[in-house]
Amino acid sequence: MEAFLQPGFWVFVLALAGMYGIFSLGLQIQYGVGGIMNFGHVGMMAVSGYTIAVLVITYQWSFWWAALVGVILAALLGALLGLTTLRLSGDYFAIASIAFAEIVRYWILNTDSVTGGTQGSLAIPSPNGFGGYTDQPDVILNWISDRLYPIIGEEASRDLSMVLVVWPFFLLFIWISSRLQKTSWARVLRATREDDDVPRSLGKNVFRFRLQTLIIGSVFGGIAGVFWALQFALLAPEDFLRIVTFYGWMILILAGSTRVKGLFVAAIFFGFLYGATRFLEFWPLSLLSSPERAYLRVFLIGFVIVLLMVKRPQGLFGKRQEMVLE
Amino acid sequence: MENSKAADSVILDVRNISVNFGGVKPVQDVSFTINENTFTSVIGPNGAGKTSLFNLLSGMNKVSSGEIFFNGEAIQSIHAHKIAQKGLVRTFQGAKIIRRLTVAENLMMAVKGNPGDNLLGFFTPRARKAFEVKAREEAMRRLDQVGLTKFADEYAGILSGGQRKLLDLSRALMADPTMLLLDEPFAGVNPTLVEKLLTVLAALRKEQSITFLLIEHDLETVMNISDRVIVMAEGKIIADGLPNSIYENDLVIDAYLGSRRKDS
Ligand SMILES: Nc1ncnc2c1ncn2[C@@H]1O[C@H](COP(=O)(O)OP(=O)(O)OP(=O)(O)O)[C@@H](O)[C@H]1O
Ligand SMILES: [Mg+2]
Repeated sequence: MEAFLQPGFWVFVLALAGMYGIFSLGLQIQYGVGGIMNFGHVGMMAVSGYTIAVLVITYQWSFWWAALVGVILAALLGALLGLTTLRLSGDYFAIASIAFAEIVRYWILNTDSVTGGTQGSLAIPSPNGFGGYTDQPDVILNWISDRLYPIIGEEASRDLSMVLVVWPFFLLFIWISSRLQKTSWARVLRATREDDDVPRSLGKNVFRFRLQTLIIGSVFGGIAGVFWALQFALLAPEDFLRIVTFYGWMILILAGSTRVKGLFVAAIFFGFLYGATRFLEFWPLSLLSSPERAYLRVFLIGFVIVLLMVKRPQGLFGKRQEMVLE
Repeated sequence: MENSKAADSVILDVRNISVNFGGVKPVQDVSFTINENTFTSVIGPNGAGKTSLFNLLSGMNKVSSGEIFFNGEAIQSIHAHKIAQKGLVRTFQGAKIIRRLTVAENLMMAVKGNPGDNLLGFFTPRARKAFEVKAREEAMRRLDQVGLTKFADEYAGILSGGQRKLLDLSRALMADPTMLLLDEPFAGVNPTLVEKLLTVLAALRKEQSITFLLIEHDLETVMNISDRVIVMAEGKIIADGLPNSIYENDLVIDAYLGSRRKDS
């Protein structure tokens, strides 16, 4: 239990929350505004993360350019996903999107000579025999810890520096997204969430709106991938399992998908659940092995979601009235 | 038959259109032309193919054969939203409203040429907001026309069936149509309001020179406002003429057997 009292624990929770929060911002605009059920969002994160690792390690690019290209590729991947499958009806798109992300992961897994395969980013071929890619951003993270050290001493960790970097971005993106959701563009998009025919009959190109939304969401997914790559300084194919997409969905459901502003609270709550399950070592949970306790995380989070669906379908911050209109 | 090139007042020219859904043929070899600024009603029994015809005209379904010209331009193979942008706008039988938008938003969503509909508009907030103010004003004016003003900021999902019809009609008008296809706009609307709506439509025709094509079950309702009545049954046009001549037509009486007996 003391673990929860450690500042380090909360710093880790916040770092996770910021990263996953940005990730779920993508799902929020896609589903909460556009009604697009994307279950392959993790694919965007994998693409940008791996793009950075490969470009920096193998091709000696600067981290910043690699990050930019990574996000652009995530956006292009979103466009590709949309162009190929977005004309499918909602349920079919959801299934196709899962397959899409799995293809990305299998490609990473099986293209050892580029991605390092099962061994992850450490095995990405490098001209100088070293598989790190965070040297440049680490300069900034270290600079931040160095400034904090005189004030808070040993608590000035890399995680804390990450929190201080990620959160301003997270809050900025929430702000931008909420502005975007007040435009007439978003109004048409909300209409497409309920019905295709009405906007079409009024001269709106429903496909264009959906495609744009998918791409915007993918950009958020890609940016989350940049922070992911930075946070862990190491990538492996199993970082990008389907479950990661569902973590993003959990945050969205917690927050209530139609309100972007509640997202940061839900993200912290998720970060807490995620982080806390590592420390559930007291009896009777201490009887479980540590992989078993990791499953407990999925179980616990699933349970919270089911509870919410039953008790508060609109999420913590959504309007109930919106859920009951027929 | 009239030739669309010769008579420059023809707005819609439908030539031999059919549609085939795996053997079901709701519209079979239908041809007619509509002149600008006229009011035409389409009547016919349930399943006659009236809504299917509208689906073809609006591009929501594609014709299996035949051609449709709107203002002289072939539109049978272009996207539904492009057809609407050209000014041929439809409503739906049973009024489709967007429940989780407010009543005013339902209307504002329909405005044509909104710079804010384009993502680039995000970066020109001034133009976007100016347009928004105008759109809101127009929406409020339209709502006033149909007596829905007090619901402006409520979710459209709370409206009653009849109110939804009114909203649907007002929303179509927001899209700045030159020709309106209305699918049973009066069904389920109370008689006093039907009278009022008929007046509104007549005024729109006069003031904004909108051409109307309207589906209605009850011939009596549209007798006075229509210049012309087209009767459909089993996917075909079985009669076409002045309202009075249709009223007397034997074929029509056949097709309508049940309902006409009751009416007269
Ligand atoms: N997409 C479709 N696939 C198969 N059959 C269809 C399709 N659309 C319409 N139909 C059939 O075409 C016929 C005509 O339907 P339609 O809706 O056009 O009739 P309607 O004249 O509008 O009738 P109502 O007055 O009841 O609204 C019906 O038998 C219907 O089942
Ligand atoms: Mg019909």
